[in-house]
Amino acid sequence: MERFDIAIIGTGPAGVSAALTAKNRNKSILLLGSRQMSGKVAKAHEIRNYPGLPFIRGEDLAAAFRDQLERMEIPVTEKRIGAVYAMGDFFALQAGEEMLEARTVILATGVVTAKPLPGEEALLGRGVSYCATCDAPLYRGRRAAVIGYSAREEAEAAFLSNVCSKVVYFPVYPEETDLPAAVEVIREKPEEILKTESGLAVRTGTGEYSADGVFVLREAVAPAQLVPGLETDGAHVKVNRRMETNLPGVFACGDLAGTPYQYVKAAGEGNVAAISAAAYIERQEKEGGKNNG
Amino acid sequence: MVKKINTQEFEQEAMKDAAAVVDFNATWCGPCRMLAPVLEGLSEKYAGKASFYSVDVDESPELAMQYRVSSVPCLVLLKNGEAADQSIGFRPEPQLAAWIDGNLK
Repeated sequence: MERFDIAIIGTGPAGVSAALTAKNRNKSILLLGSRQMSGKVAKAHEIRNYPGLPFIRGEDLAAAFRDQLERMEIPVTEKRIGAVYAMGDFFALQAGEEMLEARTVILATGVVTAKPLPGEEALLGRGVSYCATCDAPLYRGRRAAVIGYSAREEAEAAFLSNVCSKVVYFPVYPEETDLPAAVEVIREKPEEILKTESGLAVRTGTGEYSADGVFVLREAVAPAQLVPGLETDGAHVKVNRRMETNLPGVFACGDLAGTPYQYVKAAGEGNVAAISAAAYIERQEKEGGKNNG
Repeated sequence: MVKKINTQEFEQEAMKDAAAVVDFNATWCGPCRMLAPVLEGLSEKYAGKASFYSVDVDESPELAMQYRVSSVPCLVLLKNGEAADQSIGFRPEPQLAAWIDGNLK
């Protein structure tokens, strides 16, 4: 398997800028994201403070990003990364069933706005899970509650109903649900996850529903879940001026690294992150050479 | 080396060690597969200080129940057969080493 020098997650201004700089430094790059670039950029009406591109419309800026990547021969890989594992001298990036490898990782995913439910983080791994297909076998013949933030998560609830004795599903979206009869749908907004004598419970405005396992399924993955062991500060990843995180070889930039949420600032930080990642790789190579000699 | 054990071996071996790190895992669990080589490395580093075991929760569900394993991977640190601490999910090697050191003090 190819081990890339730098994996960059995100195709907003931070990720694109990091990719351009990494390419300039002759590093092999795995740029993960969307060929549509960033939804946030594309939706921006007009950007007035991007130097050199006066009054540019968001969609034109996204098109310019795409064009510049193409001219620099940097392909965008459209894969959703579920987790990044620090394996010692490299990182394993899980994309569905596939594992990708890189020596360094630059996180440029933007911010996750979802706030955890009260009790969710404290009970994570103690009955609360973010992955039904991962942890379902532990709840064989037991009761599961699923809190789904988009219709996409219904597949996970259906999967659980084959394994668990009972599945209750809380859709946190307005669309009609399409689920097997074995899944009980509760149209109430979950407000808290509680520990009870018999296991856990989901409390809504009007009732309490007990379960052995509670699966909370959101589109966006919080940074500390994406990269186990990563130090965060609220919705942001803790970084220094070199965009280094607490994990050697992992860098963060753009909105994910903190406010102000500005395109220019994101692009600047992406540039710094790529230079830091390149320096990290060169340092590692020197040390490796020393150990071998 | 990380030794794979069943319930019987757990009682005969892990429970009798002064310090043991038991990795509860499953073949279908992605993070477990990533954690395995990290633990293998740690077992070399802690040779003589702590023993390392691996328990498949599907093969030994009674052990998983006994130690209240509700998510895998789950590491249980035993001191003289008593569960002293638990670590859930994948963690990078330096953080796990710090966790073990904190418990062996």
